Amino acid sequence: MYIKGVGMTKFGVQTCTSQELVYEAALEALEDADFKIEDIDVIVSSTVDTSSNGERQRGFSSILSSILKKKVPSITVSAVCGGGGAALWTANRLDYNNVLVIGGEKLLSNNTTIITDEILMAAERIYEQTEGLIFPAQNALIAQQYMLKYGATTDDLDLVAYKNHKNAYLNPKARFYKKEVTLKQIKKSPVIASPLRLFDCSLSVNGAAAAILTKDETDVEIAGSSLFVDRLSAFESEDMVSWEATKLAAEESYNQAGITPQDIDVAELHDAFTPVELISYEDLGFCKKGEGKELIRKGVTNLDGKLPVNTSGGLKAKGHPICVTGISQIYELVKQMRNEAGERQVSNVKCALAQNIGGAGSTVTVHILKKV
Amino acid sequence: MIIRWICDNCNKKWIYPVEKCIYCKGEIVKQKGTKLKVVGITKVTIPSPMHPIIPYNVLLLQDEFENRIPKKTMKDYRIGDVFIEEKAKTKDAVSVVKVKYDIYEAIKDIFSLLSINELVKDDKLLIKPSAVMAAYQYQAVATNPEVIDAVIRILFEMGIKEENIIVAEQAIIGNDSFDAASKSGILDVCKKNGVRFVDIAKGAFEQVKIDGFKFNIFKDALDRKVINVPIMKTNSQIGLSGAMENLIRFADENTQRNMFLNGIDTTLPKFAMAFKDILTIADASVGMQGQGPLTLGEPAFLNFLLGSRNVANLDTVFCEVTMLQVPPYVQSESNSGVKKIEVVGNELDALKFQIKPPVPGDTAHPDIKVIDGKACPACFNRMFSITSKLVGLRGNQLNIVMGPMLTNDMLKGHDRIVLFGDCAISKSTELGTKPMAKISERLDEIEQLVLFKKLLTSASETAITPVDKVRSKMKNFLHNVTR
Repeated sequence: MYIKGVGMTKFGVQTCTSQELVYEAALEALEDADFKIEDIDVIVSSTVDTSSNGERQRGFSSILSSILKKKVPSITVSAVCGGGGAALWTANRLDYNNVLVIGGEKLLSNNTTIITDEILMAAERIYEQTEGLIFPAQNALIAQQYMLKYGATTDDLDLVAYKNHKNAYLNPKARFYKKEVTLKQIKKSPVIASPLRLFDCSLSVNGAAAAILTKDETDVEIAGSSLFVDRLSAFESEDMVSWEATKLAAEESYNQAGITPQDIDVAELHDAFTPVELISYEDLGFCKKGEGKELIRKGVTNLDGKLPVNTSGGLKAKGHPICVTGISQIYELVKQMRNEAGERQVSNVKCALAQNIGGAGSTVTVHILKKV
Repeated sequence: MIIRWICDNCNKKWIYPVEKCIYCKGEIVKQKGTKLKVVGITKVTIPSPMHPIIPYNVLLLQDEFENRIPKKTMKDYRIGDVFIEEKAKTKDAVSVVKVKYDIYEAIKDIFSLLSINELVKDDKLLIKPSAVMAAYQYQAVATNPEVIDAVIRILFEMGIKEENIIVAEQAIIGNDSFDAASKSGILDVCKKNGVRFVDIAKGAFEQVKIDGFKFNIFKDALDRKVINVPIMKTNSQIGLSGAMENLIRFADENTQRNMFLNGIDTTLPKFAMAFKDILTIADASVGMQGQGPLTLGEPAFLNFLLGSRNVANLDTVFCEVTMLQVPPYVQSESNSGVKKIEVVGNELDALKFQIKPPVPGDTAHPDIKVIDGKACPACFNRMFSITSKLVGLRGNQLNIVMGPMLTNDMLKGHDRIVLFGDCAISKSTELGTKPMAKISERLDEIEQLVLFKKLLTSASETAITPVDKVRSKMKNFLHNVTR
């Protein structure tokens, strides 16, 4: 299928309702596609259905039907932080002409402890939740194993955070738009779960994003679309620092698109925590195993590098509204492919990749977009 | 210990218990790793509801089969350290073991940590679960039947014969023990294992004198070795229904009433002395929080079991972990205090998080409070039953006064007092209390409900009139006819 239009809200701490968020994103996508809502044949959505935000309502598909005034087939796909990618993957396989893919989250409306607990529900309960393995702690253990195995350092993680914050500075929809973050601030930020510091962690934000998929040819084709699900807990894997689901999804998507990793011009990766970006460089084939640190050290993934990664600011600095993230990655890549990315525009983007992850490498989608 | 479930045929491995391999249909065997070393560590500095004490460490432990698990600890370790679970050194130690999908292994772990060697092949045993009223297992009112099943299995493995084991319980006054055992699933476990379930209420009792108190105690509980298997629950009347409280129902009904009449905080520790050194395996896999099973209590997903030969120590440790007040009847026995209790299996600070405590005086109805002079469970349960049925009918505040241990200080400053139960009526006469109304415990529940409704909706200090009494009797009559 092809992408006809994209839309997203600014990611932040808005106090508006979930309905208002998704309405804004849907409206922008429709206008971008030059579509009317009547043109939509089916809706595929994703939300984490948080219970702590005070809205206390589930049945996201029905909520969308109410707010968009649409009586069409509509399903909600759940894959925690990988929900957006999973929704896109589902939509791409439906036999309809025009599909609205949409995600919305109102995550920030309670105290941090409650939100931390809410997110913790994506972890395994008996082995992880009861042992205090909140997501920063999970990823801290993964980062430590990665460092021990491949000799990466916290300086490498700092560079990932610094790069993504610099990109978010240029993105009007990012939580950290025009907010400067220095390398010194990153290095001095408080430790959350050693070795990870505050600036190694992504941002919980509110927001919504939408994409309209169509069978009719447009300027952006979904050339590869894969989803793989692996174990729930990272400690179950033989190799904690290489995520099988990413490797499988990447391989399949490259084959579908008929390309190799070297053909990718720009990528949006799931940097929920800085070490995940380094591990993903390797699992996606951008470099050999253990050499992810070299890409960030040499500036290969910087905005002006050979393979810019997370030009939007990523989950790190644009923000991570759980199930919205996967769709917002597509928003960024479409903007890059159309030369509409403003100050963060990468030149001559023909082939782009989005990697979205649910859990610590559990549900992974890889989408490859090609400029037509 | 790290457990994995492995197919004996194709070696597929699970972190969850499965019974048959979904690939080759092969048999599943457990792989138990016991040689643990630290291969990763992170210090966490942000709190979450289940982990409020910071900083804490999460270790990544690896066993001799290269299986890994995370483990929370407050202690500092280094990568490469050996991780050892120390066994208890003292007789009164408490072990706390988390359930990693396998209750049987958790109980085996408790036996190992406490070095249980006092049970032998020819022992006659009594397992005392908690099943106070008819309720499903998921409601966390009764001991999880899987815990009972695992205890029986371990006893069988020790060579103890099924005919030498009984499971005995007595529901709280006014409830049927077999109904409670049946609905909770405990009766099915007994049948499955060929073990007899005995209703204590129907058994023979023997009088035991302890420190001037006379208790009629279930004879089998005195003649057999007892394994006490309570579920850990909050209790709005006495704070906690745990290891020590579970013993109360070894007493006959009169003894139970008298224990409350004479002050449960004094009588229960004395009563418990009849069961010195019994083994307790306490079920906190899913415990209860809030007001307890009678009103608005709710399951607390705690996921651990406790074991000890000392009921007071076990209750004290549970209160410490869940941040509940240690009830007075436990405090008087656990004179060493929690800091002097040896705890094995898990560190207390690593386990701690607050569950909803019971609020003394609260009922299900926002306008009805209780002033409890240690009423017996029968009256207390009836009061909760009635007040629950009045929820939704707002009115003027009522203070229900109950029990024989009332004092003028307890009643001071309260108006709209309704005496409920014969103990309270008798005691208040002695104290010279002027109540709004008196309601006898001998009235039928429907009559009591009608009278409470009248009092709740009446703005004045109206007493119950003869007309009200006739109305309540008619309502009761009609209710029975309709049924």
